[in-house]
Amino acid sequence: MAPTKDTPFRSADMSMVQLYISNEIGREVVNALGELGLVQFRDLNGELSAFQRAYTKDIRRLDNVERQLRYFHSQMDKASIPLRKLDLDVETLAPPTTTEIDELAERCQGLEQRVSSLNESYETLKKREVELTEWRWVLREAGGFFDRAHGSVEEIRASMDNDDAPLLQDVEHNTGAADVERSFSGMNIGFVAGVIARDRVAAFERILWRTLRGNLYMNQAEIPEPLIDPSTNEPVSKNVFVIFAHGKEILAKIRKISESMGAEVYNVDENSDLRRDQVHEVNARLNDVQNVLRNTQQTLEAELTQISRALSAWVVLIGKEKAVYNTLNLFSYDGARRTLIAEGWCPKHDLPLIRSTLQDVTNRAGLSVPTIINEIRTNKKPPTYLKTNKFTEAFQTIVNAYGTATYQEVNPAIPVIVTFPFLFAVMFGDFGHAIIMLCASLAMIYWEKPLRKVTFELFAMVYYGRYIALVMAVFSVYTGLIYNDVFSKSMTLFSSQWEWDIPENWTEGQALVGKLKDPNYRYPFGLDWRWHGTENDLLFSNSYKMKMSIILGWAHMTYSLCFSYINARHFKKPIDIWGNFVPGMIFFQAIFGYLVVCIIYKWSVDWFAIGQQPPGLLNMLIYMFLQPGFIDIPLYKGQAAVQKFLLFLAVLQVPILLFLKPFYLRWEHNRARAKGYRGIGERSRVSALDEDDEGRGTNGRPSGESDEGVGMIAQGVDHEEEEHEEFEFGEVMIHQVIHTIEFCLNCVSHTASYLRLWALSLAHQQLSAVLWSMTMGPALKNGKGIGGAIFLVVIFAAFFCLSCIILIIMEGVSAMLHSLRLAWVESFSKFAEFGGWPFAPFSFGTLMEENEELKEYLG
Amino acid sequence: MANGWSIFIGLAIILAMCTAAWVFSPKGENQVLWRSSLILAFVSCYLMWAITFLAQLHPLIEPRRSDIRKEFVHH
Repeated sequence: MAPTKDTPFRSADMSMVQLYISNEIGREVVNALGELGLVQFRDLNGELSAFQRAYTKDIRRLDNVERQLRYFHSQMDKASIPLRKLDLDVETLAPPTTTEIDELAERCQGLEQRVSSLNESYETLKKREVELTEWRWVLREAGGFFDRAHGSVEEIRASMDNDDAPLLQDVEHNTGAADVERSFSGMNIGFVAGVIARDRVAAFERILWRTLRGNLYMNQAEIPEPLIDPSTNEPVSKNVFVIFAHGKEILAKIRKISESMGAEVYNVDENSDLRRDQVHEVNARLNDVQNVLRNTQQTLEAELTQISRALSAWVVLIGKEKAVYNTLNLFSYDGARRTLIAEGWCPKHDLPLIRSTLQDVTNRAGLSVPTIINEIRTNKKPPTYLKTNKFTEAFQTIVNAYGTATYQEVNPAIPVIVTFPFLFAVMFGDFGHAIIMLCASLAMIYWEKPLRKVTFELFAMVYYGRYIALVMAVFSVYTGLIYNDVFSKSMTLFSSQWEWDIPENWTEGQALVGKLKDPNYRYPFGLDWRWHGTENDLLFSNSYKMKMSIILGWAHMTYSLCFSYINARHFKKPIDIWGNFVPGMIFFQAIFGYLVVCIIYKWSVDWFAIGQQPPGLLNMLIYMFLQPGFIDIPLYKGQAAVQKFLLFLAVLQVPILLFLKPFYLRWEHNRARAKGYRGIGERSRVSALDEDDEGRGTNGRPSGESDEGVGMIAQGVDHEEEEHEEFEFGEVMIHQVIHTIEFCLNCVSHTASYLRLWALSLAHQQLSAVLWSMTMGPALKNGKGIGGAIFLVVIFAAFFCLSCIILIIMEGVSAMLHSLRLAWVESFSKFAEFGGWPFAPFSFGTLMEENEELKEYLG
Repeated sequence: MANGWSIFIGLAIILAMCTAAWVFSPKGENQVLWRSSLILAFVSCYLMWAITFLAQLHPLIEPRRSDIRKEFVHH
């Protein structure tokens, strides 16, 4: 019965498998399965915390390597060295061996030490450089003070009340200079020179003034270039200051204050010759420091550049390795047999592939013990795995955004591939806009490869949905032709079915009414262009589009409802067919199917030829419910009887919908009970290993081999797992009542909901008409001469941009959302259960795609 | 000449196209995808065309306009 292949029609057949992997090749096996990406492992160590697991040590180590790699990256950012991104399409990374990973870890360790020591020495040197620069500035600026001050020594001396003993001479600055008699020390004046941040100068001055009670003379000058603060790497503007004061203690105090204010005090000689020597010396040292600094920087950059070549690959390798160990942590270890035991889900049809992969790994490792893979029977609900390809991926995504389909139910994305774009097109029907959209989507598909690298988020989203856009555009071209709309204008592709009925003495401005050219000719494709621009255009097109919305809605819902039959048959639940599908279908068709038949019948009758009044279908439907048997204006003979019968049929379905399924289920349950069957176990059987843990010996299975290691696995695996549900009539009944009410009301509200097709297509058409009449219309009418031509070009640009932005992008998005709703709500509610859980296999591919951190390393 | 019979001619054409889509869909695991998508697309398009055609088959109202210029009155 099961299909031989997995098709997109249902989710793939899944099997629970158990793997016995020799401990030595555990890593390699997981690596190979990660490349394959087809197995979702279950956690067999649920009761162990993350720290107690076997491979936590390895993960820690890899975390450390990861940290080091991030450190390199940040250092590269700092030095603005570009990262060479890894393009996984071009180069593939061979799965690394353990030794390779060890080597990498060691190498990272070494590199980290080297980089950080280089960094350290760079920082020390930088600090030294700043100090020397400051010193140079102090020497230069202070020199200026001195030169100026020397000229006025005598004045200072005279002004100072100097009664200190010569013993208190400033020893420090007494350097036995040539012109000692004119020096400051000669008059007991000492000084402190240094550098302070400019924003602190005011506070510094004030504090000095207060503590020394004004016994100082301060001179300062701004350093024109900002100096780099080595600790923060930010430029700081600083001032050079020289403070003259007398008395050793006062000078010491000034020093202390300067230091506490964050100023750097430098040694400056009073004597100008010595100072000149100092300047030379400082310059020489500064040169040396700068040389060394440059070398250090170069070495660091060379080192980082070398790292930058391989960094991406390393990050990817380590990321994969970590994922492998995290997966290994899910496995259970059987100490006695030195094997790892893993459990997981995989697609049944891919089992041979998995087997051969495992075989390969074992062969490569040269082990005699094969890796065993066993399929186990389980009553757990398998995950939903819907295979996609390039084309269906985006469609599947918009379906999955609503929910995960139940395992093996009809994939709701199958009808969506056509119905979603088609309903979009019904709302978006404009040939011109559709052509632009078609070009855009074709361009995206033609330049598929280069465009994939674009990381701009908004574009990436549109790019992801390029095939949806393509199908939408193709259908929009078709509906545009049907509506006969190109940028709100119409095309005269075929000869019209109408001609103007011209009265004898007709003058321009008088109203004209159309008449049929030929009773046997009708406009063959789409709307007759003669309607365009007429006064009663909307009257006609609204009636047409409303009826079309109802018919399309009816078709869409009937089609969707049929899937519930397919689902019921697939799950072998005939009661769902007889208790849900059949009465539901009859109910729906008796009311809305009838309405659709009436619409079509009314169209097909030539009411003028038979000389009867055409009935209003809306009134007919309302009277059908409110006054069964009353016919306002007859549509056909025997209408009253047919309508009464249909209404009766519809009403009759309600109790069937309500009671058939619950009572049948109860009867079935009671019959089973009476025959002595019980519910399937109090606990669901999780795996084959379950038997070892409780029913050891009692179930007759030879369980002597099983030991603690194995027993441990089954214990506590998913304790939260739902118990097998006991049949409860009340619950089933409530569920069915809700379903019935929902279904009957939804038939009405969902049909009405399809009127959005009319509303949105009307809005789109009117909006584009307004845009034309505000831009191109007047420009074409009034433009004369060169000026008119230029004006027309400008207006056309505006028209085109507005068309693209408002009518294609904005209207397109709105039509898309409405179409999405029609798929999600109106269609899916008819058949899909959405009770599944998604299959998330362990795969390096998805790891690379989903990890944000890795993304920046991948090209 | 396009008259009421066109609906059935169109239906025949569409049925032929659907059969062709069923028969010639590429084999493989995506065959069901091809078949369902193509047939659904054909039927949807036919439905829309047929609705439009039927709506104009026996029109209940005629186009009316009063801004026709003399030169275009016979077009």
